[in-house]
Amino acid sequence: MAEYILEAGDVEFSYPDGTKALKGVNILIEKGKKVAFLGANGAGKTTLFLHFNGILRPNRGKIRFQGRDVGYGHAALLELRKNVGIVFQDPDNQLFSASVLQEISFGPLNLGLSREDVLQRVRAAMAATEITELERRPTHLLSYGQKKRVCIADVLAMHPMVMICDEPTACLDPKLARHMMELFDQISREGKTVILSTHDVDLAYSWADYIYLMKDGAVAGEGKPESIFRNETLLERTGMERPWLVDMYLELSKKGWLSNSVPLPRTKEELFGIIETDAGMSHVKCCVL
Amino acid sequence: MFKIDQYAYANRLGAVHPAEKFAFAVVTMIVCIVFSSMLTSLAVILLMSFITVRRAGIPGRFYLKLLSIPLSFLVVSVVTIAFTVSRETYQFIYGFTVWNLHLGITARDLDVAVNLFFKSLGAVSCLYFLSLTTSMVEIMSVLKRIRVPLLFIELMGLVYRFVFVLMETAGQIHTAQSARWGYASFRNSYRSLGQLISNLFIKSYHRSQMLFTALLARCYTDELNVIEPGYPVSAKNVLMIVLVELALVAMSLFTGGGLFGGIYS
Repeated sequence: MAEYILEAGDVEFSYPDGTKALKGVNILIEKGKKVAFLGANGAGKTTLFLHFNGILRPNRGKIRFQGRDVGYGHAALLELRKNVGIVFQDPDNQLFSASVLQEISFGPLNLGLSREDVLQRVRAAMAATEITELERRPTHLLSYGQKKRVCIADVLAMHPMVMICDEPTACLDPKLARHMMELFDQISREGKTVILSTHDVDLAYSWADYIYLMKDGAVAGEGKPESIFRNETLLERTGMERPWLVDMYLELSKKGWLSNSVPLPRTKEELFGIIETDAGMSHVKCCVL
Repeated sequence: MFKIDQYAYANRLGAVHPAEKFAFAVVTMIVCIVFSSMLTSLAVILLMSFITVRRAGIPGRFYLKLLSIPLSFLVVSVVTIAFTVSRETYQFIYGFTVWNLHLGITARDLDVAVNLFFKSLGAVSCLYFLSLTTSMVEIMSVLKRIRVPLLFIELMGLVYRFVFVLMETAGQIHTAQSARWGYASFRNSYRSLGQLISNLFIKSYHRSQMLFTALLARCYTDELNVIEPGYPVSAKNVLMIVLVELALVAMSLFTGGGLFGGIYS
């Protein structure tokens, strides 16, 4: 049976100004998976993330971590926040220190580690995010992409079991965005559960093991990427675009250039491989006949 | 101001222990202020300028420009000290009379004024040395070590960090306003500036809320704990500082610059 690390059960939440941000959200996040949340601005993704980390407390419903209900006492919250880290969208809202080294040391120091342990964790996090050479640079002289990496190192240094990133590729150029996704892959390979929100369907489709579609404070649909993007009615209802890989696959199938047994390709390379073998073969067959 | 900050991170004395630089600047400044000898002040100015420009590698032109900033205040205050306005005549070395008022400079006042001028410039050069070679982060770590209250240091750190964020935001708002004729006329400028300022306040408030959330997410509990990077202590530098200060003190005493002498004698 799958082990669920984070769960939301019927979570409802309204902000003090009356905005109903979450309207009965149910989420099951499997341990060690890569999960993507898709949805328009204001769909409730960030609000949900803040629940996973105990910053917000549901008005109704439950958040569960490792199968146990989350407590909201001081010690329980610290324990949750140690294990579930959030990287916020705007780095300027997260970075409080002018020194990169000091910034990253904040989290592990709060965990009560010794100076040596903290320094070692900080260095490891900087190496993983490739910002080692920025150690002595002041935060305000970093580029946007560099700041973003410092934010990730901030959370990595706390060694969380779950890493949540709010729109990690927003405002990054395509190359940096790809780099960022490779970083998440690497973090995932170390056994951490990685959750991120994005507007980029192509990216979510290729990267995620499981996808949640959110709309108006509720989960509109969920599933494996291969199935969720073939659900016409769901896509229509949520106004979500189809990834170009799926479009391409469907078009090729319609033309009869792919045999029905060929699975949906998850990456560009997979698609090219299919064209090479499958479509190529049928093309040859056409000519011979 | 931003340029000073940049030099603080990129100067040739960057690797020197901040406490050494801090001690050097502060002790020299104290010597300069305590001993009222013009020779001491001049020596301090020359010493600090030499180290800042030659050792730390700060461009001379930029340094002169920085030194000229306090010059205007200084000249005004020194002139007011040097001149005496009175109904009686003193032993003016230079003076004139307007109606019944005698305006002039006495030898003593001139002495005090010139002394004060160089003394202030000496103190300023010490502070420039510190701010051009030592980053705010390092200064804060020194302050922490000499047990300045933590709350004060944390506030200092947050202010320092967010001055830059706020300036950037202000710049962006200004650009956005200019692009829509926000500063095309006096009337427009007046209104735009008002909106810019009030917007900055709202944004700062919003930012503080977001920052607090982000800190909470990383187990914040009332204290901004950060690690202090280690710097190598250089025995050579410490010895040099001690020798230089002793030499300054000795020179001041021998040239007759008693403690607080000039002003009150």
